[in-house]
Amino acid sequence: MTDAVRTHALLKRYGPQVAVAGVDLVVPAGSFAGLVGPNGAGKTTTLSMVTGLLRPDGGRAEVGGLDVWRDQLQVKARIGVLPEGLRLFERLSGRELLLYCGRLRGIPRADVERRAAELLRVMDLEDAAGKLVVDYSTGMRKKIGLAAALLHNPAVLFLDEPFEGVDPVSASTLTEVLRRYTASGSTVIFSSHVMDLVERLCDWVSVMSGGRIVAQGPIGEVRGGHSLNEAFLRLVGGPRTGGDAGLSWLGAQPASPPASGEEG
Amino acid sequence: MIGTAALFAQLKLRLIAGALRGDLQRKLGFVLTLVMAAGVAVLGFGLMTLVRLAPRDVATDVVIVAYTAILVGWMVVPLLAFGLDDTLDPARLALFPLRTRDLATGLLAASATGAWPVATLAVVAGALAGLADGPGGALVGLVAVLLQFALCLVLSRLVTTSLSGALRTRRGRDLLAVAALFVVLLAQLPNLLLNAGLGDPGAMLRGAAGVLRWTPPGLLAHAMADGGLTGLAEVAVVALLVVLAAWLWIKALNRALVTPDASTQAASVREGGGLADRFLPDGPLAAVVAKELKYLRREPRFRVLWFSAIAVSGVIAFSLSSNTPGGAGPWLPVAVTSMAAVMIALQSGNLFGIDGPSLWMNVMAIGSEEGFRTDLAGRHLAGAIVATPLLLVVSVAASLFTGHPGAIPLAFLAAWGALGVGLGVGAVTSVVIPYTVPERMNAFTGAAPGQGGQAFASAMGAFAGIFALSLPLAIPIALGLGWLCAVAPVYGLLVETLGRRLGATIGFARMPELVAAVSKPT
Repeated sequence: MTDAVRTHALLKRYGPQVAVAGVDLVVPAGSFAGLVGPNGAGKTTTLSMVTGLLRPDGGRAEVGGLDVWRDQLQVKARIGVLPEGLRLFERLSGRELLLYCGRLRGIPRADVERRAAELLRVMDLEDAAGKLVVDYSTGMRKKIGLAAALLHNPAVLFLDEPFEGVDPVSASTLTEVLRRYTASGSTVIFSSHVMDLVERLCDWVSVMSGGRIVAQGPIGEVRGGHSLNEAFLRLVGGPRTGGDAGLSWLGAQPASPPASGEEG
Repeated sequence: MIGTAALFAQLKLRLIAGALRGDLQRKLGFVLTLVMAAGVAVLGFGLMTLVRLAPRDVATDVVIVAYTAILVGWMVVPLLAFGLDDTLDPARLALFPLRTRDLATGLLAASATGAWPVATLAVVAGALAGLADGPGGALVGLVAVLLQFALCLVLSRLVTTSLSGALRTRRGRDLLAVAALFVVLLAQLPNLLLNAGLGDPGAMLRGAAGVLRWTPPGLLAHAMADGGLTGLAEVAVVALLVVLAAWLWIKALNRALVTPDASTQAASVREGGGLADRFLPDGPLAAVVAKELKYLRREPRFRVLWFSAIAVSGVIAFSLSSNTPGGAGPWLPVAVTSMAAVMIALQSGNLFGIDGPSLWMNVMAIGSEEGFRTDLAGRHLAGAIVATPLLLVVSVAASLFTGHPGAIPLAFLAAWGALGVGLGVGAVTSVVIPYTVPERMNAFTGAAPGQGGQAFASAMGAFAGIFALSLPLAIPIALGLGWLCAVAPVYGLLVETLGRRLGATIGFARMPELVAAVSKPT
């Protein structure tokens, strides 16, 4: 079986700074994969290049054995994307956004309408379906974005920080939908900072640091008997200084109330 | 009190100086602002001083009108530029342990700091040299100058603070975006009136001053000219008004600091397929047309663009028809309507700018050059659907207005040709020189910070392209071959098709760069 995603020495530079320095990402088909790493590790840049939203400076990216840049038509039909930042078509209502995305991909209107109605129900967005996306909250935007990404039934789903800023209720809706989706043999790749969540959901994990993959494999192997959080801190080089140096004033009770400014 | 004021003045200076640490364009903008403010200060002061040469009553009238204009400017401009000054929004400061009185002093100090406040003070003080007579006049005048300055500061703060709640909601900002345009148009009104030769300037000045005589700035200007007891009384009245406005402002500030942001509670919108789905076969094209038509209706930036296109063609038509010696020929309605069509088509010179960062959704769905072509076609079709009735109205109006009703069909057909040429050229500039259209447009920039050059190049390129491609038809028509107008729509369609194909070929190859160019932070 071919891998769902495979990259070869993927490279991206921004001026003198190398954001992604030769990444060989591998995700087996059918897995629920987590891409973890500290801020600035190159997770978003990697996902953008794999999904064809950012042109790499070097290397190759394949989805289901097809080159992302050479076979755009087939690849785009097979992937769904929820990038970070959540910029959606703000002046469409949630329902209109789904209809637009589906029909732009050439799915007949009647089919799109049926799928959109089901997705809106599952995502608990039926009440908000008629409101403009510009007025949605973060959780609602993530949910409508995920619905738009699922609408054409992709084989591989890329999610960049899907749980960031999402309330617990919406988060459990999101995980529920994703679990059902992977149970049918489809692949999910998502980036996250939240190790507990990755540990709970994923069966495959790739750890990035400084623009490279530093560990990748089934989650049990990467963890190696520790919690994922411990393994992660060890891999990316943990906290550099002890937490107790400096900051001795923090939490100390002030001796007298602070000066209250000028008395007029 | 003094400490807070000094602190806020420093904060404002820091914020201004922060612009110097930005890129070249921001530095240039900063220098330009300084030069402009200095120019306004010197020129304004000089002109106000020259008032002394005019007869006494005319001088008073001029100062009355000038003071009122300055005050109105202070009330309106910060509102339109809300967001330019970080010290304007009290919500930013709500969490600091400041008493409202301290905060008010500080905000006023911040208002008084900067290039434009100094320029205002200079212009206002110019009237002192131009109008006041004797020691009494100078004394009353000095107080009047300070009061006028205080009035500007306090009223400007009062307006922004009481509207700050509304300005933070989406609907409020949407409304304001369109309102800004009306102000720009309104500023053109005197120009148009003078051009049209309605009434003589002297009478207009007398009339305006007569109306404004009893407004606070009018009272101040009159007090300055009077310099006696009446003047003193007038100054006292305005001083009371300033205190009252300050009190109102502190009340508004108190309220603004504790009122939560209610911007996410919104109503549903009217949905429905509408025109596009009734007449077009189901598919991507219908989807794009439907989406574009919704955007034209709901996106304030589109409203601003369409409105300005119509307004600009109106202004052009007006000045063309009134400045043509010996009556207008039948070519005039044709030219005016074609001009309007070009103005409308020019909006399509940066088709993806308003989609902005959401354009990635299209990129993920479009996997072939044909898909990109369909996207362009949908956008053009939506534009044409709105433009057609507008151009019909313009052609009828222009033809009847110039007394050539027979020119209606010619004008309409020629406009269609111009529209097609414009759309075709625009499809190419859209993909070659894309730029981000900022969320909040104002009268001064149409592009994200750092992309002013692209916006300029795009507009110039579109103009040059439209001009060059229009010549093959425009020259023979201008030479009298009016029947060629009948060919214009076909020619326009040809150019549009070629432009669309070329645009799709270029655009599809550089879709990631396209998304990056229209997703700049604004």
